[in-house]
Amino acid sequence: MKTAGAAGTMTCSGLAAMLTEMHAFSQESNLSKIEARFYEKHPDREIECTLCPRLCKLGDKERGYCGVRENIGGTYYTLVYGKVCSSHIDPIEKKPLFHFLPSSNALSIATAGCNVNCKFCQNWEISQVRPEQIRHVDFPPEAVVLTAEKNNCPVIAYTYSEPVVFYEYMFDTSQMARNKNIKNAVITGGHINPEPLVELTKVVDAIKVDLKAFSQEFYSKYVRGELKPVLEAIKIIAKSDVWLEIVYLVIPTLNDKPSDIRKLSRWLLQEVGPDVPVHFSRFHPMYLMKNLPPTPISTLVEAYQIAKEVGLRYVYIGNVPGHKFENTYCPNCQNLIIERIQYRIGKIEMLEGKCKFCDNPIPGVWA
Amino acid sequence: MSTVVIIRGKNIFSLGNEVDEKILAHMYTLGFTTLTGQSKLEDCFHSFLQAKDKIGIKINTIGGKNISTRPQVALSLAHSLSENHRGEIIVWDRTNRELREAGYKLNWNRGGIKIFGTDTQGIGYSRNLVSHLNIGSLFSSIQADRISSSISLAILKDHGLAGVTAGMKNYFGSVHNPNKYHDTNCDPFVAEVFDTNPIKKKHRLTILDGLIIQYHRGPSFHSRWADKQGMLIFSFDPVAADSIGWQIIEKLRAKKGLPSLREESREPRYLKTAEKMGLGSADLKTITIKEVEL
Repeated sequence: MKTAGAAGTMTCSGLAAMLTEMHAFSQESNLSKIEARFYEKHPDREIECTLCPRLCKLGDKERGYCGVRENIGGTYYTLVYGKVCSSHIDPIEKKPLFHFLPSSNALSIATAGCNVNCKFCQNWEISQVRPEQIRHVDFPPEAVVLTAEKNNCPVIAYTYSEPVVFYEYMFDTSQMARNKNIKNAVITGGHINPEPLVELTKVVDAIKVDLKAFSQEFYSKYVRGELKPVLEAIKIIAKSDVWLEIVYLVIPTLNDKPSDIRKLSRWLLQEVGPDVPVHFSRFHPMYLMKNLPPTPISTLVEAYQIAKEVGLRYVYIGNVPGHKFENTYCPNCQNLIIERIQYRIGKIEMLEGKCKFCDNPIPGVWA
Repeated sequence: MSTVVIIRGKNIFSLGNEVDEKILAHMYTLGFTTLTGQSKLEDCFHSFLQAKDKIGIKINTIGGKNISTRPQVALSLAHSLSENHRGEIIVWDRTNRELREAGYKLNWNRGGIKIFGTDTQGIGYSRNLVSHLNIGSLFSSIQADRISSSISLAILKDHGLAGVTAGMKNYFGSVHNPNKYHDTNCDPFVAEVFDTNPIKKKHRLTILDGLIIQYHRGPSFHSRWADKQGMLIFSFDPVAADSIGWQIIEKLRAKKGLPSLREESREPRYLKTAEKMGLGSADLKTITIKEVEL
């Protein structure tokens, strides 16, 4: 049986795992002051951030919605360049990316900050805080790449919080990683403007988009963001050379209507095609949404069936360890070709990206 | 009816840009006696504070030296309170850096009036995530745990998103994530942050520092749109205080030929929301203004 490498906590350079203590650390003086990309200067020391659809207009000394980019005297700076608050080595299946170098380890990093505010965020202790409110370490791009090499990680994943808000750091690290034949995976809500996204697709290899729902009403109420730019982002990624997977967290009573799942699946089929992997993940109560129960598995199975009926070929359910719909089945001969047990790989019945049983090509990045 | 007291210190800047501290102290005395109807300061304070109260004076120092609650204004109040009241007094804001940049000398471990930020080692944010309406925040442990009564001693100024920032919005500096509450002209967030237990149960008084008012292009400082008004505004009604503050800004804007905040689609709608939530009066017809000029 082939198994994924053990997920572990980084120890190199004193990196600590998932530091989420909310006491004050007075780390303000240790924030970065690297000029941000994607903003416009306006008169009277004002600026407009064009990185994400929020288009924050900020006066001197103000920060954007993300809390990690600040206007200082009319110049916009990222405060989190190389300021990592969380670092792990994770199996790539944990992202989840199922058609991207299965069983490989991903050096996974995050800084503080996020450009939305999901009421069900699993990592709110790092995503919904300012960088000075959380312990972080200096982890410059070259050190990230070196650490990935030393730990046999073929992938660096930008994840946990929202990598869009640490764009400059992610971009530079990705470029350096590419030069060392290390791949880059971005785990994002997709709330980003087209121009920075197109730039990003030139230096990364895989993007997983968390599509939170298929209605603007949900995005307004529970995400505090916009659906349309996320859909645009998905289309841009699909047209690029970057591998794309979609996760849809199914929340009881809020975004679990079969009609919504059908609409979403049809849209994906039409705009992205039948081969995009779609993961319907199980919700667990947390952060500001503790009043709802975990998603019934039957709801996830129903979502799976709807998506398959619509014509999507690679549909999965997530956060249900050991469920058969975590596996990949060949859409041609129906044989099991990748067996998964939570984040571990049981077996892979593929050769050179094709089903071992019928030679059907399976889309993805396999080597 | 809610009462708002406006004290104008005509000569408070007679020394140039420095505040005349004697006039300032007199303004405070006049403000408290007019607001409470008591003649002695001690009685004024006892009308809204308990003898053993630990008092937090929440100031606003995000704007730097030019457009923050002035140290003289905060310390004059703090000294007046300490002379007439036994409890501990903490002058505070989000960060020590902002306090220093606004001209405050920090004191977190010596006797007397304490001055420090939430980011002081060992202070930080309370571990209890407060979830209330659209709010999900951690509160400064100063506001949540260390004090029993709170005075919002805010700078009154124009705000590009909220329209006006004054006493209620000042409490954005008590939560860990104020950046999440600036959408839709900060409405309903200003009202809802105020409506949380750590604020509403402890807030006793609003005082607005209107010595110099930034009436346009706030919240950053721009000297050409800042005017020496030499006023302090007092009210037990947080919504009424801010509503009158808004009107003062509108008058200044009109005088300078600027469009109203409504015309710029950034009127402070959160005031009406706060009124609907029962936090105070936004309707000017229900507010009595007592104006005294020194």
